[in-house]
This record gives sequence, structure tokens and C-alpha cells, in this order.
Amino acid sequence: MPSFVLATLYRSELRMLLRDTRTIVIAVVAPLVLFPVLILVMRWVEQRQVTRVERTVYRYAVTGSHEDFAYYKVQGVINRETFDPDTTRAPAAFLHDRSPNPDSLIRAGAIHLVIEGLGADEYRRVRTRELQEEAGSDSVELAVIADLPDVPVIRLHYRADQDVSRAAFERMRERLEELRRSHRDSVYRAHGLVVGIEDMGEIGSENIASTERESGALLGLMLTPLLLVLMLTGGSIVAVDAISGEKERGTLETLLTTAARRAEIVNAKQLAVATVGVAVTLVNLANLLAYVVLGLIELPDSFTVSLAPASLVVLLMLFLPVTVLVSSSLLLLSGRSKSYKEYQLYFPFLLLIFLALAAAAALPGMDLRSAIALVPVVGVGVAVREVMVGELDWPFLMVAFASTGIAAWGAAWLTERTLSTERLISGAELDRADLVGGPALFPRRVLRWFGVLWAILLVTSLWSGPSLGLREQVLFNIVGVLFVGSLLMVRSYRLDPRAAFALRGPPPVAWATVLIGAPAALVTGIGLAELFRRFVPVPDEVIRSFAQFLAAGDLPVWQIALFLAVIPGVFEELVFRGVLVHGLIRRLRPVPLALTAGVVFGFFHLSLWRIVPTAYLGVLLTAVVLLTGSVYPAMLWHALYNALGILPVRMGWVSQDFDLPLWSYPLGVAALGVAFLVLWNARRPYPGLLASPGRLRAS
Amino acid sequence: METVVAEDLTKTFYDESRGEVCAVENMSFACRAGEVLGLLGSNGAGKTTTLRMLATILRPSSGTARIMGHDLIRDPEAVRRSLGFYSTSTALYPRLTARETLEFFARVNRYPAARIEERVSELVGRFGIAEFQDARVEKLSSGMRQRVSIARTVAHDPPVLVFDEPTVGLDVIAALEMQEVIRTLSEERKTIIFSTHIMSEAEKLCDTIAIIHRGHLLASGTLEHHRRCTGKHYLEDVFVHYVRGGG
Repeated sequence: MPSFVLATLYRSELRMLLRDTRTIVIAVVAPLVLFPVLILVMRWVEQRQVTRVERTVYRYAVTGSHEDFAYYKVQGVINRETFDPDTTRAPAAFLHDRSPNPDSLIRAGAIHLVIEGLGADEYRRVRTRELQEEAGSDSVELAVIADLPDVPVIRLHYRADQDVSRAAFERMRERLEELRRSHRDSVYRAHGLVVGIEDMGEIGSENIASTERESGALLGLMLTPLLLVLMLTGGSIVAVDAISGEKERGTLETLLTTAARRAEIVNAKQLAVATVGVAVTLVNLANLLAYVVLGLIELPDSFTVSLAPASLVVLLMLFLPVTVLVSSSLLLLSGRSKSYKEYQLYFPFLLLIFLALAAAAALPGMDLRSAIALVPVVGVGVAVREVMVGELDWPFLMVAFASTGIAAWGAAWLTERTLSTERLISGAELDRADLVGGPALFPRRVLRWFGVLWAILLVTSLWSGPSLGLREQVLFNIVGVLFVGSLLMVRSYRLDPRAAFALRGPPPVAWATVLIGAPAALVTGIGLAELFRRFVPVPDEVIRSFAQFLAAGDLPVWQIALFLAVIPGVFEELVFRGVLVHGLIRRLRPVPLALTAGVVFGFFHLSLWRIVPTAYLGVLLTAVVLLTGSVYPAMLWHALYNALGILPVRMGWVSQDFDLPLWSYPLGVAALGVAFLVLWNARRPYPGLLASPGRLRAS
Repeated sequence: METVVAEDLTKTFYDESRGEVCAVENMSFACRAGEVLGLLGSNGAGKTTTLRMLATILRPSSGTARIMGHDLIRDPEAVRRSLGFYSTSTALYPRLTARETLEFFARVNRYPAARIEERVSELVGRFGIAEFQDARVEKLSSGMRQRVSIARTVAHDPPVLVFDEPTVGLDVIAALEMQEVIRTLSEERKTIIFSTHIMSEAEKLCDTIAIIHRGHLLASGTLEHHRRCTGKHYLEDVFVHYVRGGG
């Protein structure tokens, strides 16, 4: 029965769209007709421009204290242009203009080039004055002046805003340099080379990538942004009408009073947006292909794309969540907009966001085996690049697929919620928490805040790379971004700092459990990381470079303990087990809460291979806070965990390649079990914890 | 048997400029099959908010209602299946034909698929749509649209019908036609709840008149009951009596 309603809604959406001839003409027919016309016009203009420039006689003047020198060189150029022409282009014609005031003539556009011959001293004077003017002061670095040539100089004055003047300049400069090289070689030959020509050698190169891989890499760069633009513009045709249009016409209220479920309405509209988005994309791609076949668009000679069937399937699979994300985002935008006009106002921003994400994937150095795989759309963009060159890195392809898939699901869920909100009908946009703000609103906003903090850390880590030292990174990331961000949350939502940071006394026995729990957590965490590496191999180089970073060779041990154990222990706990847990405490039951806070903590470590062990630690520490109601034991646990993981290697007690014996893992599990058993028996649950099957709630 | 039962329906809106606004407070009433209940109130009294809560477009802040035994919070789809909602703000899809519109609403309201064709033909005949059944809604006159709109409200043959100020903006003839439709549907044992601020309309159509003011139900009963309670003859005077704090 539900599919019956869904099919009816979907069919009607498409039927109504197909009957809107204006939309069809603008969205589909116009690009089909306009695109070739545009290409033809552009080619015609380009050819006309080339012909005009080639037929032009370049008028030039010669000036300066070394006018004769310059004139002699220019004559050499003209001879070369006449007697040694480049067969790939038409020869250029130059005409000497002997009128006075060449500077005013070139400014008036009467001549195209002024060639000025200057002596070495005069050039130095002129150039020094120019440099001083550019710097805005009389002091110019001596080294810059010392680098100026000690020979006569030919200066070419041209106008870059005029294509003929620019073409004259380019041709003259090219030929002058050619002439200079030829002159230098003949002087060398005349005076005999000091070294044998065989000692100078020759430079050769060979591209070992096949043309398929090279073309695939090029296409891989463009494919995601191109498809996104087409899907967004195509899908937008339906999306704008789907909710904001219906709202404006008054049909949305009619639809919402029917027995159709909200999910059915959203799914039908989503399917319609995706169908039209994909259809418009396919039509335009077919259109492009036709122009390539017809020769309207010229591809490079060596352009050959060869995709294995498996790669093609993977590509289609990767674009599936992207399609859903695009259609959900468009619908969400439509749902959030009050009218067509508002939708059209916001749409360029949405387009820009998607394009920025797609463009980020095209940046050099983007590697799928990094946290970038976790970023929706960017991960898929990087994955597409790799698939296009025939590399199928399955675990990371799945991560990229899942990250965009989760974002798509989230957007669809938000759209469904938007459709259920009364704002659509009543115009009242707020609920009580919105109006009252403060602590009542914080639980709804906490994950949004952490999303922003995560984005800041990701962007700064991509931007700064390894240029920041250990101390700077720890201080900036943990204190500057995370802790300051948490203080902002406390201030913005008028939270009680003691409650928000869980600054309460724990049961005394909790301190003792830390001494067993922290080493046990480290051992089991290492075991888990080893297990993870069996499924997702991490290059040794990555682990070695991380270990070297942690070893921070030049720092004294106390600083390593401070920056890698104490500061993370204190501040990360205040942030993740303090503010984050406080925000989620009334929304999630204990187990989902511990998992969510743990996963968020893991994600903040930005490196894919570290997510599992750090998320695991995050889950344990959240459990400690929920059982003790206090952040203090978790701080000590965290600091001890980090110290035990780093200091023994730094102190030279164990080697960097030291492997834990196999028996230590079950021992770690048992010790961890004991620690949590003690905590459970002495529990002082976190205030406000939702009831759970384990009766964790405070009585 | 009571087909509609509202219990302490309350709706509060939160607005940045006005703060907390209680549009409807503790509204309770009940109707039986074949009964016409009129919600009579001035603009902003809470009539539309009440009806939108019954149609599950708005979620009550507290209280609930049952339509044909279905709770509107626990089972909103079943409630909407049992209900047809008409208001001047519920528009039709301009690019569907009149016939397609009726088919569409019968389908999405889960009317048995095998009987849709027959039901649509019946509605086309009954509401005088045959002449323009294949014309797109965007081409129809406002009178024709009104007929299609009423037909789509009853397309799935719901036992309860909600009309929110159905005659607002209509000319005299169209308003009379609408009143005739309501009367006929009532004779077919449909439960009808309709809101209005036109006294004569309420007098003519309603079995029960509920007087609403500033979100509160001031009084409910037959016209005779109100006359007895207030000692006033005309409904206009009855209404003013309640609104000014009498009775």
C-alpha cells in the first residue's frame, strides 16, 4: 500500500513537471540549442581574432640612449621573422614608426610597441627609481639592485589591455630572446667551449603513465564538479516547485491533509528531483558527447578513456549517495524557503558549497587514505579521481561512500522533519526552546557546534600541514579551538560551568580504578588498533612519521608530558566529557550517548587510522564520566593513558618497534572489566541521565 | 456514536516579536455522525488552529482528539484517512486536470484502488464537473475550481469533513451552493465541523454552535440552547453576550 501512494505522488510530480513547457524549454531544450550556438560563436570570434592579429602590421618605435643598439637588435628580429619563419604560425609584419613622442603614441593606440635601448648605468638608475616607487620608500634592498644586469638593456613597452599590442610584444620578446641565445651560442663556438659538449649532456623525459591513466586523471578532476553542477541545476527545476512552490500556491496544505505519510511525500519528491537531476545530467552529457563526435569540441589528441566494467560500477555506486545528497539538499532548501524568490536567493550558496567541496577534491595532494575520505562529497571526489586511474582502494572507497551516504541520509531526515514542522503552515517558526534559548536550546545545538569546531580543525590542519610544531599544534587545536569553543558554548547558552564541565566530586574509589583502567585501556586500545590495521592497512611510513612527531626529539621530557598528556587530559576531557556529554545527556540513553561522544572524539583526531582507537578511548572515558558523574577521574585516566603510550618510548625504556605480547590483550580486557565493575558498584551517576535498561539512573 | 472527540486541545506558538502566544486553550467538544458543528468566532479566535489540529497539520501542545476512534497524535495517518479538509487556503494543482485531481486525491488518501475509477465518475457527475473534467485546473473559473475542490475533499469518502471558513471570498450564489453541499453531506450522515464568522450561515446550517473567543470555548449547544441561556434571540446578540463576558 505505501508504494502505491509513493508511486502516485512520484508520477504526479513528474507529470506536472512535464506539462510545464516553459520549464522544459529553459532547462532542457535551451541548453541543447544554446550550447552548440555558443561554441560556434566562440570559435568564430576566436578565429576572427587570430586572423585579425595575424594580419595586423605591428607598428613600433625605437627610443632611448642606446637607440642604435635596440634598432640593430630589432632588425635582427625582423630578418629572423622573414627568413627563418615559424611554420606553425603566420609571419608577423613590423613597421618602424619614426614619429616623435612614441610614449604618447602608444598610449593613444597609434603604435603597438615602444622598444627602448638603455645603457647599463641608465637602466640601473631607472630600475632603482621604479623599485623605490613600488616599495614606497627610498630604501631598496641592495641585493636586488646588485642583481640588475651590467649590460645594455632593451625594454619593451606595450599595452596588455590591447590584444594587438600584447601580441606584438610576445612575438618581439620571443624573437629577441631567440636572437640572444643564437648570438651567445655563436660567441661560444667562436671562442671554443671550455668543457666538451658531451659533458653538458642533454635532458630527456619519458612519461611512464599510459595515455588512459593520464586521460583518466584529467577526467577524474573534472567529472565530480561537472556532474554536480548538472545535477544541481537540473534537480533544482523540480526542487524549487516541490515545496516552496507548493507552499506559495497553497497546494502543500492540501497535500499535508491527505493520508499520505510525510516520509512518502518526501521520498516521492526526492525521487522526482533525483530523476530530473539525473535525466538533465544525462541529456547534457549526451549533448556534450555529440559535440565531441561532431568535432565541435576538440579533445587533446592523446585523450583516451578506458574504464574496466568494475570501475564503471564503482563510479555509479559512488555517485549514488551524491545524487541522494543533492536531491535531499535541494528539497531541504526548498522546505526552508518561504517562497520561490527566497529559494532562488539561497540556491547559489548551495551550488557554491557543493562546488567548493568538489573543487577541494581536485586540490593537489588530496589522498583518499586520510580524514578527507570522511568529508561528504570531497571523499567521493577523491575516490572518483582514483577510480578513473584504475586504482580501487576498497576500504577507503567504502568510507567515502559511507560518509556521503550518511550525509545524504541526514539531509533526507532533515527534509522530512522540515515537512513535519508547523512553520510550513502556521508561519510560527520557533518552539519554546528557540524562544527561551539558553540551556533549553543547547542540547539541540551541541552537535552543530562540534561540527563547526571539527571543520575549523580540518581546515587549519590542511592549511598549516606539518609546518606547526607539536607545542603550537596542541595549544592551537586543544586550547585555542576546542576549549575556547566550549567556553563560547557555555557563555552563549548561559550554562552553569560546574554542570557543563562536570566539575563534581567523584566517588573516592574512582581514583584507584584509574590506576588499573588507564593501562588496561591502553593495552586493549593497541590491540584494537592492530585489529583495525588488518582490515585497513596503514602505511608504515604514516605510523613512523606520527611516532616521530610524538617523540618530538628536541623537546625536554617534561614538556612532552605537559603537551601530550596533561593538556589533552585536562582540556579534551572538559570539552568532550564535559560540554559534549552535558549537551547530549537529556537526548540519548547511556549506551548511545557513550558511543556518540566516543565517535565524535575519534573524528576529532582527523586521521583515519587513529579514529578507531581514539573513539574506543572516548567511549571508555564517557562511561567513566557517566558512572562517576565527574570529569576529574576521566582527566587522570586520559593523561595517564597518553603518558603510558608515549613516555616509555621517549625515555628509551622500550623501542619504537616494541610489540606487546599476545597474552597482554586478554589481561588488559580482564583488568578493564575489573575497573568498570568497581566503578559500577560505587557509581554516582551523572545527573539527569536518561533511564536505561541497566538502571544507571540515579535513584 | 461520537465520531469526533476533542479533549483539552491546546496550542501555543512561540514568536520572536510576540513571545508565547496561546492560540487555543483547553478546547473540548464532541460530535456525532450526521451532526454539523459550527465553530463561531471572530478573526484570530482560534478556529483555524483548532481545525488544523484536527487535520493533524498542527500538533497540539497538550490535549488530544480522536477522529473515528483514531488518536491524532498516535495515529495521524488514520485520522487523515477518516477526514476531508477544505479551506480557501487548500489549493489545487494547476497542471492536473479536474479528473486527474480527483484520482490523485482518492489514491493518496488510500481509497481502494479497484474502485477509484467508479468513485471519480460518481463525483464528476454529482458535482457537475463532467463538462470540464479533462481541462487543466489552471484553465478553470473560480466557480469550477470550487466544485473540484469540494469533490477532492470527499474523494475518498471520509466520514468526517472539516470546512474552514468555506464561503469566505465567494459570491452569494457560490456561497449558497457551498451551504447546499454541506447540508447534503450532513444528510448522508457525515460529521461536519465548519468554522465561520458569518452568523446567518451558522444559524442556517449548524446543529451545534460552539462560540470561540481568544482561544477559549465560551459556550456550546443548539441555537435554542443559546437563546435560552442568554435570553437573546438573534445569534449576533448571543455571540456578543458571550464575548462580553455574560452567561
